[in-house]
Amino acid sequence: MIPGAPPAPGGSAGGWRGRGETALLYLLSIGVTLLISGGLVTITGNSWTQVMGALLNGAFLAPGRWGNTLVIAAPMLLVALGMVIGVKSGIFNIGQEGQLLMGAMAMAYVGTKLAGPGPLLLVGGLILGTLTGGLFAALAAVMRFRRGVPEVISTLLLVFIAFQINGFAITTDWFLRDLDPNRPSRAVTSAQLPAEAHLPVVTLFGNEFHIGLIFALAAAAAVAFLLTRTSTGFKLRLLGSSPNVAQNVGVAVARWGSAALFASGALAGFAGAVMLAGGASSSRLTSGFASNFGWQGLLVALLAQSRPLMCIPMAIVFAGLRTGSGFLAATGVDRKIVDVIQALLVLALLIPPAVQFIRDRRKAAAVAATGAPAEQGAG
Amino acid sequence: MTKRFGKVVACDEVDFTLRRGEIHGVLGENGAGKSTLMRVIFGLTLPDKGVMKLDGRSVRTLDPLEAGRRGIGMVHQHYSLVDNLTVWENAALGEQGRIDPAATKQRIREISEKYGLEVDPDAWVRDLPAGIRQRVEIIKCLRREPRIIILDEPTSVLTPAESEQLFDVLAEGVKSEQWAVALVSHKLDEILRAADRITVMRHGRVVERYLTVQADAPSLARAMVGRPVALRAVTAGLDAAASGAPVGKAAPTGSGEDEGAGFERAPPVLRIEGAAVKAGDGSVLLDGLSLEVRAGEIVGMVGVEGNGQTPLADVMSSMLELDEGRVEVAGRAVTTGAAGAMARAGAAVIPADRHRSGCVLGLTVAENLMLSLLDRMHNRGLLRRDAIRRNALDLVEEYGILTPGPDTPLGNLSGGNQQRVVLARALSADPKVMVAHQPTRGLDVGAIEYVGDRLRRAADDGLGVLLISSDLGEIFALADRIAVIYQGRIVGGMPRSELDMERLGLLMGGAGAAEEAA
Repeated sequence: MIPGAPPAPGGSAGGWRGRGETALLYLLSIGVTLLISGGLVTITGNSWTQVMGALLNGAFLAPGRWGNTLVIAAPMLLVALGMVIGVKSGIFNIGQEGQLLMGAMAMAYVGTKLAGPGPLLLVGGLILGTLTGGLFAALAAVMRFRRGVPEVISTLLLVFIAFQINGFAITTDWFLRDLDPNRPSRAVTSAQLPAEAHLPVVTLFGNEFHIGLIFALAAAAAVAFLLTRTSTGFKLRLLGSSPNVAQNVGVAVARWGSAALFASGALAGFAGAVMLAGGASSSRLTSGFASNFGWQGLLVALLAQSRPLMCIPMAIVFAGLRTGSGFLAATGVDRKIVDVIQALLVLALLIPPAVQFIRDRRKAAAVAATGAPAEQGAG
Repeated sequence: MTKRFGKVVACDEVDFTLRRGEIHGVLGENGAGKSTLMRVIFGLTLPDKGVMKLDGRSVRTLDPLEAGRRGIGMVHQHYSLVDNLTVWENAALGEQGRIDPAATKQRIREISEKYGLEVDPDAWVRDLPAGIRQRVEIIKCLRREPRIIILDEPTSVLTPAESEQLFDVLAEGVKSEQWAVALVSHKLDEILRAADRITVMRHGRVVERYLTVQADAPSLARAMVGRPVALRAVTAGLDAAASGAPVGKAAPTGSGEDEGAGFERAPPVLRIEGAAVKAGDGSVLLDGLSLEVRAGEIVGMVGVEGNGQTPLADVMSSMLELDEGRVEVAGRAVTTGAAGAMARAGAAVIPADRHRSGCVLGLTVAENLMLSLLDRMHNRGLLRRDAIRRNALDLVEEYGILTPGPDTPLGNLSGGNQQRVVLARALSADPKVMVAHQPTRGLDVGAIEYVGDRLRRAADDGLGVLLISSDLGEIFALADRIAVIYQGRIVGGMPRSELDMERLGLLMGGAGAAEEAA
């Protein structure tokens, strides 16, 4: 199923009965996933309760851990929101991993190469990171609307170009490479972002998280508002539903499609800048800095079925799996098992909407077959 | 036979008899249960109750393959062809075992010749216009030498000439090979023209049975709709087809000449000069088309489908940019191909395929109804939800759109009501000129009547209308003037008061193809 596939006609999820059924489906498929995962853990010779406990402790229960999880969730949420804007506009930007990296690079450049007061560097870096991510995605828009190159392919391939640019940047003396002879590690990285240019940190119940989280939550609300309440959002949704009608009523496909792609990339770029300024990999740009945040953000949007507010809980679940797996190492279980559990969980969360989709289609087909007015001419 | 879908009773104790050597017309509005009945016979739908006897023996067709083995063939309402295969490959679909291309092609040629269904077996289906695709469907069906042939709304995309040809093929087969044919339609004239026996269905029940010789259009229409209907669109076409002579007297409003004189003085609201455009593959879509529509006038554009009607509508929808020529709306030149330019200048379009460019099934009724009023429906970028809702409620009432509410997804509405939404949205922006391309295709009698009335009324209020239709009856009933399009240009025309069927036929067929057309 494609994220944001138009809600099947009939909207049979409505009503309490429908909602109850959906909830039950989710519970059921998650339950089955837990059973299978338990089986896998047991087969590999480990204790299921121990693994589960480690995951939960690492993600939420141990002191200070949920703050950690939220810090991880913030950039994933931002990436997912960018995906949502794209999908709603009929644009499939799947290159967030690269756009995020470009945003982080811009932040690193501003923070480590330019002089100025810390807060100014921070704000400047965040803005430049956002723009860089957006412009990097806009390259795909140029290819799409000038030459007809599908953006699914171009955004994906641009990820690898971003990796190369990043590699060049952190190994090149005049660019981002850390030239300090006393640097802590021998790995090639950028210099560390000065402490004054870090995002302010909030402490709540012994948990610390930076205000990037607040930005991300605000962005989720803003995207939801944009899509449902504003004429801009309506035009984007119109573009996503019917480019022909959009063109007819004055929503130029190339202009608005490019705007959607830019916005999508900008959110990923912002996510990258937030990560660096929020202390990810010790606020140094490394070769593996993006570390799958871009890809996982896509999964978040997919599982949230392109609903901006639903992205919030989904991002927290994925962030929890990440932070939880950190604790797993202590139990002696291979961390790869977490990847398997995560994949199973993705499948589990995809099943209920898929079932719903198939059911609605059957229903629509049955109605269409009667020739009853409800669906005449829709086929 | 009875069939229910949930709470909906599609067929309620329907009795239906098909005799050898006879064309049996099944008439009814959309949703009357005609298609369900046919699907049951063909084994696509299983009935809840009832028996089917074939040659006196009780049978139960469980699936189309079995139906095929028993000699039942079906031509579907919506094409079941694969675009990316050639004609012969499509015909071979469903074959078992090895496929012999040469033999298949040979067989197609034989059928083509025998029934006059000309088609190239090696052509790609995606390149074929609607009329030819229908031929392929029929050949596909005939190839299996069925004894019982079911045609579900076969003519909804055919030109009158193509329909005539189809009926000739059927009549021939019925006579020489004793076919039993079930012809489903909601068009009165063609049922009267083609069928020997007529069954009228309404709301899942058989309401009347006739021998065609005893039936007439008004009584059929009454039986079908359950109330008297104004039949001008339907009967005008019928008269024209029957007499083949000038039908000025069949026109409803009589005063054609006076109005004609009035239009001469009215300002042109649409002027197209030398419009030319080529497709990406170099084929010519429009070839120097020039046309003028004046305020208050309905210009009927006739022509065989695929002669430039769709590109013309696309140009007027800002979806296609001209290579040459210019378009003026309300006296001002409009840039072609620029998003929304035509709509801003005052041109509205009802496209032939409303799902492609007329409305958006995934958006709600209210959102669809505001599409042409986007600029008025926001306040500094914030959608004015009250105004949108009020606009929707007003239009729903004014145009009699049947919907559970303004926030229902458009896809949940019936085809006729979707078309009303398209019409309402097109007229809501107070356009100067309206291009209506097949505005009644696929609609039932009541909806056709409504759309026709609405266009006439809008024209009386000063709207210039370009009515593009392959339904000549509709053109004769509504148009003040007729223009003929052939291979991307206007090749001639006439006021309706001087209608000359023979000349029209010659023009539509192109000068060279005159004899074939006749």
